[in-house]
Amino acid sequence: MITFSEVSKFFDSLQVLREVSFRVAEGEIVAVVGPSGVGKTTVLRLIAGLLKPDAGAVSVAGAALGYVFQEPRLLPWRTALDNVAGPLRAKGVPKQQARETAAEWLERVELAGFEGYHPAELSGGMAQRVAIARAFAVQPRILLMDEPFSNMDVELKASLMVLLQGLIKELGTTVVFVTHDLLEALQLADRILELTPARTVRELDLADRAAVARDWLAKIQPLL
Amino acid sequence: MASTTSRNGARPATGRRRRLLYGLGGGAAILVGWQLLSLYLNPAIMASPADTAVALFKLAWGSKLWIEVLITLKRLVIGLAVGAAAGGVLGVAAGLEARLRSFLEPFRWVGMTIPAVIIAVLAMLWFGLGDFTVMFIVALIVLPTMYVNTLAGVLSVDRRLVEMGQVYRFPRRLMLTEIYLPGVASPALAGLTLATGIGVRAVVLAEVLAAMSGVGHAFSRAMSYLETPELYAWVVVLLGLMAVIEFGFLRPVKRRAMRWRKAAE
Repeated sequence: MITFSEVSKFFDSLQVLREVSFRVAEGEIVAVVGPSGVGKTTVLRLIAGLLKPDAGAVSVAGAALGYVFQEPRLLPWRTALDNVAGPLRAKGVPKQQARETAAEWLERVELAGFEGYHPAELSGGMAQRVAIARAFAVQPRILLMDEPFSNMDVELKASLMVLLQGLIKELGTTVVFVTHDLLEALQLADRILELTPARTVRELDLADRAAVARDWLAKIQPLL
Repeated sequence: MASTTSRNGARPATGRRRRLLYGLGGGAAILVGWQLLSLYLNPAIMASPADTAVALFKLAWGSKLWIEVLITLKRLVIGLAVGAAAGGVLGVAAGLEARLRSFLEPFRWVGMTIPAVIIAVLAMLWFGLGDFTVMFIVALIVLPTMYVNTLAGVLSVDRRLVEMGQVYRFPRRLMLTEIYLPGVASPALAGLTLATGIGVRAVVLAEVLAAMSGVGHAFSRAMSYLETPELYAWVVVLLGLMAVIEFGFLRPVKRRAMRWRKAAE
């Protein structure tokens, strides 16, 4: 579904990715982890076509793409309903039908009754749920998520995770998401790719998830 | 969902009333200052508010005032519409296309540097006196202001929203109507308000220099014949014209375009 073949990416003279190769099969949930500034978001932007590799190739099968950004990125001048309907209209869905589908998705993310609210009238968690509804409304074959739970309290994070897990499982969507939180990755992902400070990628062995979590906690313990 | 309204809703109403009172106070201060100046200065150079009101009443009683106002209004609206539309469209296009922006930069510089009076004189030289010349002058003076404001608006559109539009494959038309135009609305409307003020000054300047009718010409004629109260009456007419445009058109348009911000507040 997604193939990175020896992809390198530079920003000016800074190399962000060095000959990175990996594959994501259809229906897989893959987490990309690593410390800040190691190029996690660059991986997503390359998949989304927002960036082009300087060397190597990125191949993505299937056009429909959903993207949950770190921040909701809703149009402040549009209501929650119109924000969800926008990408559907971009796909050529008639306005009325797009609004009906958007209303259904808002209901699925437990925002029925908030269709006419503007983003500034919603809490951070509600706005992120609108962004999730927007991503799923286009029936994406691939869903990209960029640290969708950062800056959230534990309760909100848990409720959004449950919501996302349910939707992903139900729709069989292929997911690539980036996070700096390995526990988050262990909870959601089938596979975990770690971007290293050497700008390369290695896949973590998840045969014993508890051991991976223990190692990671031991590694970050001195930093806490 | 915090609200700025107090539970009984009294605070905003009080605030509005207070702002209105201060505004009325400012207006009264102008009238008092004007009256005091008219007491000390020669009536040939400073008509009192009362004499001006009488002159205004006389002008309004006949058809002269309304004919001149309609002539000026037509020239202003057409000149402003053409200049603002051209400036707005070029501003959006230049904001989206860096090469066009570079190409237009010398035009912007020339347009914003040449004094209005020189534009008026050159237009008279090219087209003679009359309607077209006045509208041309207004359009040419308004265009750079509108261009600069719209361009600044496009350049300040949130790049993250543009990226969101790219991810969801928004076609060019939807990018324009859903992301760029609403993002540009606030600075473009500020530009339109500024351009309208400049347009009113431009139309009067153009009518003084390059027309045989309109409020500017009537003002110039009153000055030539030393009809000082009538001269001041035409100034009041111009202020009234600007008030009608601003409060009757610009503000409602701005309120409508910025409804979402009000909802957010």
